[in-house]
Order: sequence, then C-alpha cells, then structure tokens
Amino acid sequence: MENDVWIKRYHNSELQEPVAVVGSPGLRSIGKLVVESLISETKAELIAELYSTHLPSIYETQPSYAAHPALPGFGGVIVESGSLDLPKVQIYACNSPQLIIVKGYHANFSGQYSVAQKVVAFLKEKKVKRTVVIAGYGTKDKKNCCAATNQEILQEMKQKFNIDIGYRGPFMGFSGLIFGLAKASGIEGVCLFSGTEPKEDDLEFPDKESSQRALEQLRQILGSSLRGLEETKNGRANTV
Amino acid sequence: MDVEIKIIKKFTPSQLTLVCGLPGMAYIGKLSVDYLVQQLKAELVGEIYSKYFPPYVIIKEDGIVELLRNELHHYRDETGRDFVFLSGNSQAFSPEGQYEVADKILDWAIEKGLTRVYSVAALVTDRPFETPSVHFTATSAVLIEEIKKHGVQQLDHGIIGGENGIIMGLAKKKDIEGVCLMAETHGYQAPTGEYVIDPKAAKAALTVLTSILNLKVNMEPMEKQAIQMDEAIAKMSEIERRVRQEMVQSGKKPSYVT
Repeated sequence: MENDVWIKRYHNSELQEPVAVVGSPGLRSIGKLVVESLISETKAELIAELYSTHLPSIYETQPSYAAHPALPGFGGVIVESGSLDLPKVQIYACNSPQLIIVKGYHANFSGQYSVAQKVVAFLKEKKVKRTVVIAGYGTKDKKNCCAATNQEILQEMKQKFNIDIGYRGPFMGFSGLIFGLAKASGIEGVCLFSGTEPKEDDLEFPDKESSQRALEQLRQILGSSLRGLEETKNGRANTV
Repeated sequence: MDVEIKIIKKFTPSQLTLVCGLPGMAYIGKLSVDYLVQQLKAELVGEIYSKYFPPYVIIKEDGIVELLRNELHHYRDETGRDFVFLSGNSQAFSPEGQYEVADKILDWAIEKGLTRVYSVAALVTDRPFETPSVHFTATSAVLIEEIKKHGVQQLDHGIIGGENGIIMGLAKKKDIEGVCLMAETHGYQAPTGEYVIDPKAAKAALTVLTSILNLKVNMEPMEKQAIQMDEAIAKMSEIERRVRQEMVQSGKKPSYVT
C-alpha cells in the first residue's frame, strides 16, 4: 500500500477557527460516549474518515488503549447495521456551535503516533485553535478535573467553570497523543477528565453517569445548549 | 514526524562535544547528564520528538500535558569549548527507533562540528563493592590509550544496550570518535521489576567524565541532588509500572470467525 494512514474526505466544511472535541474508547468508555452523544445532539455532519493499516479490528490487549509492541492485534473489517467497513477514525463538523468532533479509534503500538499526527494535521488544516479532549480517570471521587497545554487555560477552567487540575500520570491511547501532538503543533487544548471507578475485569465498561457529568461540563465549556446524554450503544472495542 | 529535532535556540560552535545520558538501567546516564546540565546551567537548545517513543503523554504535577521527548542542552565553558548534553524522559522503544533517533541526533551534531561523543551507561555486576568502579570502551585504539590515563578500566567484552550504546556504534560508522563510560551497579530492581536509580554509580561516572572533559563541577550537592532525582525517577518508574500493568496480555482466545 502506498500509505499506512489515509483520509477519505466527504465534505469541505468552511468553519471559522472551530473548537475540536476529541474522544475515543478508553477508561469506562467516557470519551466515546460523550462524542457520540455530541454528534447526535448537534446533528454534526460526517466530513472525513481516517483509515490506517495500524487500526486493528480486534485488539490483543485489554483494555484496547494499552498498546503493546508485541501485540499488534488482528486486521479485519467491522460489520455494523448490515454493512462492513475497515476500522476508522470519524471526523464530524457542526456549524452551530462551530465544532469539529473527532471520534477516535486506538491504533496498535507501532501506529499510534502516525494516526494521531494525521488527525492533528487535519485539525490544523481546518484552522482549529483549541481542542477539548474528553476522557476518564480512575478515582472514587465523582467529579471532573482537567489538564491543559498551558497555565492560562488551566486558570480559565478554574475561574469560569470551577474545574481544578487533579489527574497526574500517563495518558495513553488515541486521545492522549492527540492532546500532546496538538500542543506540539501549536493548537492549545484542555482535557476534561471525568472521575470514574475502574472495573478491573472490564476497564472499558461504559459509565453513563460519569459520561453525563463530563457532557454537562463540556456544554459549559462550549457555551452551547445541548440536550442530555442520549442512550448510546454499548459499542466498546473488540478484544480477544 | 519519524524523528523531529525542534530547535529552541540557535548557536554556532566551532567544535562540539556531545555527551549522552538517556534513561536506562539504574538511570546512571540520565542522572549524570541531568546533573551536569543543572550544575553548568546548560541552556535548552533543542527538543527531540519521535513516533518511536512509547505512545503516551504525561500529565505533569502542574496539570500540563507533555509528549515524551529528549532534550539537548548547550554549554560553552570559559575557554570557548562547546558541549551539548543529550538527556530526556524516554528512549525510543524498538531497535529501529533507537537507530533512527540516534542517527538524526548525530547528523544534527555533525552539522554543528561534532568531534567526539561520550555516553554514560551502566555495567551491571554481582561483584560486591563499596565504591563502584568505572569501565570504558572507545571507538579507536588511540582513544583507548588516551582514556586509560584517567585511571579507568577498559571493558574487555560485553553489550551496551539501548540508545547510549547505539549512538556510539553509529558515531564510529560516521568516523566520529566515541567513548562510553560504564559505572558498576548491582542493578537493583523494585518489586515491580523497575530498576532503582543508583546515584553512587552516577557519582562515580561523573567523577571520571568531568576529569576527562576537564570540566569544573561542584560535586558536593550530588548526594542531595541524587535524592531529589531519586524521588523524581521513582515517580517516573511508577508511571511506567502503571503503563506496563495495563499492557498485560489477555489470556482469552480470539472470538471471531475468519
């Protein structure tokens, strides 16, 4: 194949410095649940899909985001609603509010940087100035905290929305690298971490309560008036 | 971006010495080079990012996100000699990545007038000792004789794993002189399997390195510095432990049909 990562474009949306919201399957599926809900509520339009030879259809690691160099996963297609497609990252756009919404998918160990770099390059092309990443962090506290690309944003989060920093440590998988690489590309960003209690036997088991809390906070951050979290499918990543 | 060197500040040396201490066994190289950077107040001139670093980011204590990276710090002494210190919070993960990163750094340094490379690594031994001794290897017989004058013992045989070793091999391939210093360590491992830092070994390596480089460095704060580094690296080790813990392979069989 000519390229190991490629983007299929559907619509050329003309947005003015949109905010990008990024979520992916991860701890208690919070990022994924929130972006799926946001896509549904804003009726955002699918503008592009990213494919890669590094996206497994079935992961050998559990959870899916804990990539391992010796466990690349299994290639294949995913069948949904009777039709099939390769695993993919989906990118949506919305005019009001002006958003780019990225529904992520974890690449295997060797491809995580390549996939994230391609997504960040796409966001740059779309003139995104700020990313809001949604993820979960393991705690018994039912609260949100944040991290950011600079101190000014942390102060903004505290002053406007009363969100403190809290989580410290590694941030693995698709959304973590988007956050870090976006910073390296000059796109400022904040990550909203929603506290959730890990289920040791199934770390990606959906936590709708924590997802709802993250969505409500996201509403404030985006300054929009979105409806509540809709029932979403239990669409976790396939693992073996 | 396979490997990107982001230049923070430009500088123009006539000749350059590169000193490498990336995190490895017992963190001896990293401890040594980070200490020199701090003591000499070397200036950050470049950051190295690569897709070959482990695929995660760090949320720091202050809530700011950071990619894993290597750093280049520049120091010019009072006689006008230029040094660049290479350290960082990660090494490339795979051999292919270690070659790519080391190659890119050497090419950058050669453009700057690189004449010699030093690296600091660990020599794991079960030999009982009070004070760790320092061994070395070099890229040429002439250089070996030169370094022997500093009272260090030539390594007869062994392997220098990781980027601190590969950068020596690639330097030799590019006809650049190279010396690798290896301080003895028992390579203690925490119950988690992580190597515990060895400040005594780093101090031994630094004593030799500063003698060879004729650098005046205050060694008194080393013990205190080592303790602070110990805490910082312990946190890093904890992060790595948590990452690895989540990388445990599932024992389940594939549940799909082909």
